Amino acid sequence: MTTLAPGANAPLAQGPLTATIGFTPVAGAGLDVSAFLLDANGKVRGDADMCFYGQTIVANGAVQLSQVESGRVVFCLDLDRLDAAVEKVALTATIDENKARFAAFPHLALSVSGGIEAPIPTQDMQETALILGEFYRRQGAWKFRCVAQGFAGGLAPLASHFGVEIAVPTANPPTTPAPAPAPPARINLSKITLDKSRASISLEKKGDGDFGEIKINLNWNRPTTSGGLFSGLLGRSGGVDLDVGCLFELQDGRKGVIQALGKAFGSFDNAPYIHLMGDDRTGAVRDGEWLRINGKEWRNIRRVLVYAFIYQGVPNWNATDGVVTLFAPGQPPIEVRVSEEGGKLGCCAIALLENVGGSVKVSREVRFFQDQQKADQAYQWGLRWSVGSK
Amino acid sequence: MALTLQKGGNLSLSKTDPSLTKILVGLGWDPRVTDGAAFDLDASAFLLNADGKVRGEQDFIFYNQLRSPEGAVEHAGDSRDGLGDGDDEAIKVDLTKVPADVDKIAFVVTIHEAEARRQSFGQVGKAFIRIVNSVSGVEVVRFDLAEDASTETAMIFGELYRHNGEWKFRAVGQGYAGGLKAMCNQFGLNL
Repeated sequence: MTTLAPGANAPLAQGPLTATIGFTPVAGAGLDVSAFLLDANGKVRGDADMCFYGQTIVANGAVQLSQVESGRVVFCLDLDRLDAAVEKVALTATIDENKARFAAFPHLALSVSGGIEAPIPTQDMQETALILGEFYRRQGAWKFRCVAQGFAGGLAPLASHFGVEIAVPTANPPTTPAPAPAPPARINLSKITLDKSRASISLEKKGDGDFGEIKINLNWNRPTTSGGLFSGLLGRSGGVDLDVGCLFELQDGRKGVIQALGKAFGSFDNAPYIHLMGDDRTGAVRDGEWLRINGKEWRNIRRVLVYAFIYQGVPNWNATDGVVTLFAPGQPPIEVRVSEEGGKLGCCAIALLENVGGSVKVSREVRFFQDQQKADQAYQWGLRWSVGSK
Repeated sequence: MALTLQKGGNLSLSKTDPSLTKILVGLGWDPRVTDGAAFDLDASAFLLNADGKVRGEQDFIFYNQLRSPEGAVEHAGDSRDGLGDGDDEAIKVDLTKVPADVDKIAFVVTIHEAEARRQSFGQVGKAFIRIVNSVSGVEVVRFDLAEDASTETAMIFGELYRHNGEWKFRAVGQGYAGGLKAMCNQFGLNL
């Protein structure tokens, strides 16, 4: 095991590598991790040299963003397959909309397969965008360096450092129509947040009707104390356990519920093609709860209502800072935040997925109900309910 | 066109430029382009005897002692930020004034407060040392440190040394941990 301080470097094992960025999520401060393929001048050659959530596979698969979860991002790299013009691959982390500085992240570390660890010393860091580390060519072989340097101004100065043009809306369009040149392809760095001003979006319809694996994450703000007096106090007053679940209705009329309460976990490969991944109430898994929808079978699904319910603790929705994020392959992530107060109601319908002519329409709901049964009635789902326990 | 040396290479200054007596040793590096604590790099010179040690404190030329007593070595002063054209720091040497028991002059660059700022030479780019004939203004030799530096906080860029009655220059590019204090200890100066 080699531990690298900022500036330190190490040789790499031969063959394909994985680079894992691990961090403790901070409520209200989303972290985006990206890779930039750089030439000898330290610049990208074009948009195709950026690997991020909107473009997860670049360089014919030599660099791939293979896993994005809250608190964990994994890249797969096959550096020897990169063409000779790529001298460096920089891994970066940026805080969404500069909502916090890296000093707010108690734990941030990069590890590379083969035993390289690069903990990033975030204490007092005023940066909102960081170059975590870089792979670089040295005398015919690839090496890795821990960088841990960045920009207080966030993504914009970081992107321009790497020669990336960020789309800026033009205020005054030219009055004389010029012969339309093909606009340079520009990467859209923003993820999609559904809110009151933009309540729904449709995922681009795929020719083959296969949306791949659609992953839905529910995450929320939990107390981070690890035991002792304070955790006891927080456990009574502030600790809230949220569970994710959904109501589904298939095209053939079958319908049901998927949630840990009642042990209805569903199935990915068979109907209802929706699977709830293991419930974790210990707090050890920090990336919340996940529902997976088999997008290959989307044609068989009519609608899915994703909800969160408070299994334990006093309802205080605003303080939970709950967020549902939908990840679909090749699509920007779609976020819906529970930004409103739900009073004492224990169930919040957060997002509705509907099959509209084969596409996936995602709508923000954020409607509160006393329980799932009341939500069922409001959406006219028509299930029969009984009291259950985990 | 000046000569360029590789790491470990050396050059006879007397043969390359017989008129050479007064030289300017220019040292440079790229400042950081990211935000955060600035890099403050300091150039120093150590006048060393045949054993590779200083004869005393007067042989350590740095930002707080800019000139050796006999006037052979003079530091042009501290540049704080590494910005500006060409050299970031410069040290003047008059070879005719170097005391006979000084065999070697080592040129060292160290990172100020490296530990507190968590900085190292792994983060410093495009470092170089060059020897300029300060009478004619012509660059005689240059060494670009293409080193793959890591956590080093002090680096010997190059050295002037006597060899069979002539002055030569060697491209060193050797890094050390421990900053300026470690360099002082290495050269026999116990601070």
